[in-house]
Amino acid sequence: MADRKMPLWLRGLRSGLVLSLYGLMILIWAFPVIWVILTSLKTRTDIFTLPPTILFKPTVEHYIEALLAQDILRGIINSLLVACGTTLFTLLIAVPAGYAFSRIRFPFRDRLSFLALLAQMAPPIGLIIPCFLILSRLRMLDTYGGLIAVHMTLTVPFSIWLMITYFQDLPPSLEEAATVDGASPFTTFRKVVLPNVWGGVGVTAIFAFIESWNEFLYAVVLTGSKTKTAPVAIFGFLAAEESRWGPFTATGVMIMAPVIMVALVAQRQIVKGMTMGATKG
Amino acid sequence: MFKGSEETKRLRPSYIRQQERFGYFMITPGMLFLFIMAAFPLVMLVAMSAFRIDLTYPAGNKWLGIKNYLLMVQDSRFLHAFKVTAIYTVSTVFLQVVTGLALAMAFFRSFRGQGFLRVSVLLPMILAPVVVGLAFRTMIMTPEYGILDYISIVLGFGSKPWLVDPIWALFSVIIIHTWQWTPFAFLVFLASLNALPQDPLEAALMDGRNAWQRFWHVILPMIRPAVVIVIIFRTMIALRAFAAIFSATGGGPGTATEILNLYTYRESFNSLNLGYGAALGTALLVITVVISMIFFRMRQSRM
Repeated sequence: MADRKMPLWLRGLRSGLVLSLYGLMILIWAFPVIWVILTSLKTRTDIFTLPPTILFKPTVEHYIEALLAQDILRGIINSLLVACGTTLFTLLIAVPAGYAFSRIRFPFRDRLSFLALLAQMAPPIGLIIPCFLILSRLRMLDTYGGLIAVHMTLTVPFSIWLMITYFQDLPPSLEEAATVDGASPFTTFRKVVLPNVWGGVGVTAIFAFIESWNEFLYAVVLTGSKTKTAPVAIFGFLAAEESRWGPFTATGVMIMAPVIMVALVAQRQIVKGMTMGATKG
Repeated sequence: MFKGSEETKRLRPSYIRQQERFGYFMITPGMLFLFIMAAFPLVMLVAMSAFRIDLTYPAGNKWLGIKNYLLMVQDSRFLHAFKVTAIYTVSTVFLQVVTGLALAMAFFRSFRGQGFLRVSVLLPMILAPVVVGLAFRTMIMTPEYGILDYISIVLGFGSKPWLVDPIWALFSVIIIHTWQWTPFAFLVFLASLNALPQDPLEAALMDGRNAWQRFWHVILPMIRPAVVIVIIFRTMIALRAFAAIFSATGGGPGTATEILNLYTYRESFNSLNLGYGAALGTALLVITVVISMIFFRMRQSRM
């Protein structure tokens, strides 16, 4: 509407500026990622050539080297196990809680849901000190179960919160018909409500998976040689030798690949999930 | 478990009771989990801070009362870490909000190719912070061979001590965090700008207000809730920062980029001094709670 009143040359200038800003933004935010991918495909000589080469003969040698380094492949498998476990158990307890907090009346509901959200504010470093001691007493250091349980302290609060917003979007009359038909509340939840929020459950699962997949602090404290996750493994990679950019970037690409693929498929839903709480606030 | 028969349904009080029981049934696993894995450990954290717990010398473990805290307020490394945390948090949040808002204003309404831009700005946010930190340390900020340093040389600014000079290093980790998370502010602001009603803007345009006045007096008051929310979200996340700094500088050079999280980590898991680490963790918990209470008030008073 502002555009209509502008002189033509000013409008042209404006769209030119917006267009260059558009290019600049993509450059600033996507370029480092693209650069990591490009570097992972260069030979060692090409990596350390100045000026940097854009056109080169791609090689997969770094991927092979990274995968043969025992830690990395194992780290990726461990990360996959931990992230899937975290996602599954998070959904199992967060979806029912989100449902109850948004659509069932019971005493202290608001206070309890507030408490669940409070858990999100606990500083991770403050949580890991006692958890480390507890898990070491239970002989659960370097186990999948221990790491999954601690990762869930990150994912459960925001998953409950996200699911509440998805359940609130459903029409209030949804359960009524089923209740009149004599179905139990749990059957109503499973057969009538749940099919309407699969999309929301999917987005919640994506967020939980990414959170656990990328997590570093808890993993570096709690895992040893057996359950070391990919982010911990890649850190050790460079700590040993600073200039192994090739295998490092190859590993980096393998860590980024699953989340980037998910982001490409579900970008609209992810952005909506991310901004939903903030815009509704 | 909840086989409510026809009769109980018709009696309203029992129906209500059934609903209540069902509600508690549904939240129990989640609440139980959070109690065991979050509430209990936090109480234990505070309790641990009253002890000397040295894993390298367990025989010397004993009750200390508040001695850890007396030690802390005189600990120059703690005070330094506190300062670095404050600088880091305030500047990253400020930069994210200002940059995000400026970019959102630029793209608001005149928006084509949204999908491609959305994917580009989404990328940094879903990357593992440890990969981001390592990538900046090596391929982006390494002298000469790092692409950023190379660009700086080509543009005639010369090579910069990105991560080796104390001041530059702090600047660099702030830039890294800002790079990774400005997209969040941008996307939230873009969503709330797109949802604004058009009438007040039309009216302001009729009144002959210029662009800056329209932004300051019309648009900003309308999206103020979104700004407040972004500030709250991003402050809470900045206070949790760890992996990107840990992998980019390790807190160095010296302790130049050592935020409280890093110092607490070192004290607890490198020096294995868990008691003092717990005291530092408790300090962090208190800081987080105080800040969130201030934010809570701010939201209630409709800032």
